Amino acid sequence: MAIAERPEARASIYEGTRIPSPIPTILQVPEELRDSDDVIQVNFGPNHPSTHGVLRLVVDLNGEQIVGLRAVIGYLHTGFEKNMEQKTWWKAITYPERIDYVSYQNNELVFVLAIEQLLGLETPEKARWMRMCLCELNRLHSHLVWLATSALELGVISMFWYCFRERERILDLFEMVTGGRMHTRYFQAGGLAEDIPQGFFPEARKFVEWMPKAVDDYEGLVDRNKIWLERTQGIGILSADDAIALGQSGPVLRASGVDWDLRRARPYLAYDEVDFDVPVYPNGDVYDRYRVHMDEMRQSVRIVAQTLDRLEDMDGQPWIADDRKVVLPPREELHTSMESLIHHFKIVTEGYRVPEGQVYSVVESPRGELGCYVISDGGPKPWRVKFRAPSFLATAAAPTLMRDALIADLIAIVGSLDGVMGEVDR
Amino acid sequence: MAVDDRPPKRLAGLGLNSERLLWPTKGPGVFENEVAQLEQALGVTTLEKAARWAQSRSMWPDTFGLACCAIEMMAIVSSRYDIARFGMEAFRSSPRQADLLIVSGRVSHKMAAPLRQIYDQMLEPKWVIAMGACASSGGMFNNYAVLQSVDKIVPVDIYVPGCPPRPEALMEGIIRLHERVQAGVPHAYEMQQVAG
Amino acid sequence: MNLPGLLETREAHGETTFWVEKERLLEACTHLRDEEGFTFLSDVSAVDYLGWPGAPRDVAGYYGTVGGRETGAPGSQGLARLPELQPLRRFSVVYHLLALRPGAPRLRLQVWVDDGESVPSVVPIWPTADWHEREAWDMMGIPFEGHPNLVRILMDDDWEGHPLRKDYPLGGEPVRFSGEE
Repeated sequence: MAIAERPEARASIYEGTRIPSPIPTILQVPEELRDSDDVIQVNFGPNHPSTHGVLRLVVDLNGEQIVGLRAVIGYLHTGFEKNMEQKTWWKAITYPERIDYVSYQNNELVFVLAIEQLLGLETPEKARWMRMCLCELNRLHSHLVWLATSALELGVISMFWYCFRERERILDLFEMVTGGRMHTRYFQAGGLAEDIPQGFFPEARKFVEWMPKAVDDYEGLVDRNKIWLERTQGIGILSADDAIALGQSGPVLRASGVDWDLRRARPYLAYDEVDFDVPVYPNGDVYDRYRVHMDEMRQSVRIVAQTLDRLEDMDGQPWIADDRKVVLPPREELHTSMESLIHHFKIVTEGYRVPEGQVYSVVESPRGELGCYVISDGGPKPWRVKFRAPSFLATAAAPTLMRDALIADLIAIVGSLDGVMGEVDR
Repeated sequence: MAVDDRPPKRLAGLGLNSERLLWPTKGPGVFENEVAQLEQALGVTTLEKAARWAQSRSMWPDTFGLACCAIEMMAIVSSRYDIARFGMEAFRSSPRQADLLIVSGRVSHKMAAPLRQIYDQMLEPKWVIAMGACASSGGMFNNYAVLQSVDKIVPVDIYVPGCPPRPEALMEGIIRLHERVQAGVPHAYEMQQVAG
Repeated sequence: MNLPGLLETREAHGETTFWVEKERLLEACTHLRDEEGFTFLSDVSAVDYLGWPGAPRDVAGYYGTVGGRETGAPGSQGLARLPELQPLRRFSVVYHLLALRPGAPRLRLQVWVDDGESVPSVVPIWPTADWHEREAWDMMGIPFEGHPNLVRILMDDDWEGHPLRKDYPLGGEPVRFSGEE
């Protein structure tokens, strides 16, 4: 479907920087308005009509114009990092999923990649391709939830039902493979927890054929809609330099004209072996972020189709590495081999030991650069785990985007930043 | 509750039709008498029953999605699980307009105060469902940051286990709540004394 | 590269780490951003090394060292292997930098501080460090000199203590099982 013809954008990418100063993350009321009676402070409290979770924005309004903005976070702080220090490496893998609860497999992946990097463990090809397939399906899932909720907030209420219809199909696929809809816990250090089940490929193919038509449906709903275009074009502009200075990555960075995708720049899993495009748009407004998300959905479907082609040829190959110090031996062996029994016992009770070192592993999550900094002291538990969450930075960048915004634009901008509060607060 | 000694009211007399409408002079039938006796024994009237029926058929939830469970809570509104069948698709953003608070997700100590504020702003009758392991008991997060169960600050009617519970599981919790309401079980805030 | 204030360079697991003197941190960061092109600050983390195995009083070969690592680990031949990295001080502030060019070169800068010592803030160099440094202050108690708004971010404003420190307890409640007395 052709992209609607764009009228001249209301404001082009700007000169200089719009990052507020002296505090980059707080938009302060200008001097001349500070004592004015017209400026009121409104609290968009942690519980609010939108669907972003517990974000609190303290907004100073001069009529409808936003003149001051401050984001308060921490309402979902769960203490993941401290909890993970108390669990063995195996058990700790369950935690990262709940950090960014919409793209959970990417979180699992980043932590498991860090463990594997420290261990120096090679994963078999089948595992790499299946992980890539699931992560791209998860990217689709994340973008669908994003589109459903952001469009819902701007008034496109029916988008919610359309997107969740596809979301259910993706979750059916996840349930088929991993046993669970969300928080699947399917990746292990070394590969996958179990083999790919029979019947997955035909179902996945049906989904891959259907999905592009569904994306056409979504674009058909809003792409030429005057109200949508008015509400998203020219709103919430971010220049490339500001985006880099504010640590933005993922769709926000790509919508500001910077061609940067970690899947291309530093391929992990098997991203260098598949064909896909990276959408980059120049205007840095809400509309371009929406377009990046939509194009990424189409590219994800392309990648999934290619992974299915490859995986079908890998029937019968191992799905997890063979290193018995880290990976459980197959159950049949426990009856005959003493070493397998001992390995099984040690791994289950004490957990495997990861050699000492520190590693910063990154993946391109649907929100941007998701990083996991892991320090191991050589023992069975992590010493320190720190997650670099893209939504944390996106929420910090919100005041820069709200410089000339009206209150209705605030909704559009917060939606386009695609922040998940679980990630922000960890 | 004292048992009433008044003669049983005919259902027909209350404006509700019974199957004996064709024979109005017959007098209260076996069915009506039994219903009237039950009502006396439980100390409730047909009007209260009607009110409870109406409450359970149109219980509007408040948008209190916190974390992962919120995504599954949104899924029950979607077309596959369709909570509109139960009259509940109208998620109210204002607690003043909501009947049901589905606490979906982990509640950190920082969020505990807003949660109690929202609960207090809701008008009675109101119900609370603690959705998921984190709201029911703190879940996998037994640490300094997470409130170990939301029933420390709000009285909870139904606990739905799961991490996150499937939409069907949440629906079962909601339907059990409807059954509770129709059966006349008192609200949690009448039965428990939580923070007054 | 001639990095101002460089103490040590380590390469491991495909990653390069520079240990930098705290006093010359801002010089080093400016050099990296302007001359070497590391315009993207990915992450600022704070790490607490209290109780790291191999502190001076630990002797290799003892059963049950401070880190809880027994000498019976497979492949250890009965000796407790002490970690190669020995922290200079209790805390370390770690900066992860990225250059937006093909190949995605990454770097790690590590600065060592003691309890109560402050680290110069890199907010003037990379504005994105604002919230990262606030989090490091909130969770670890490391003050950042020159930070424009150093207040708690994740915990309540009136919270006492810094939760991610090793001497701060995990918290939570003991779990009672229904069959117990």
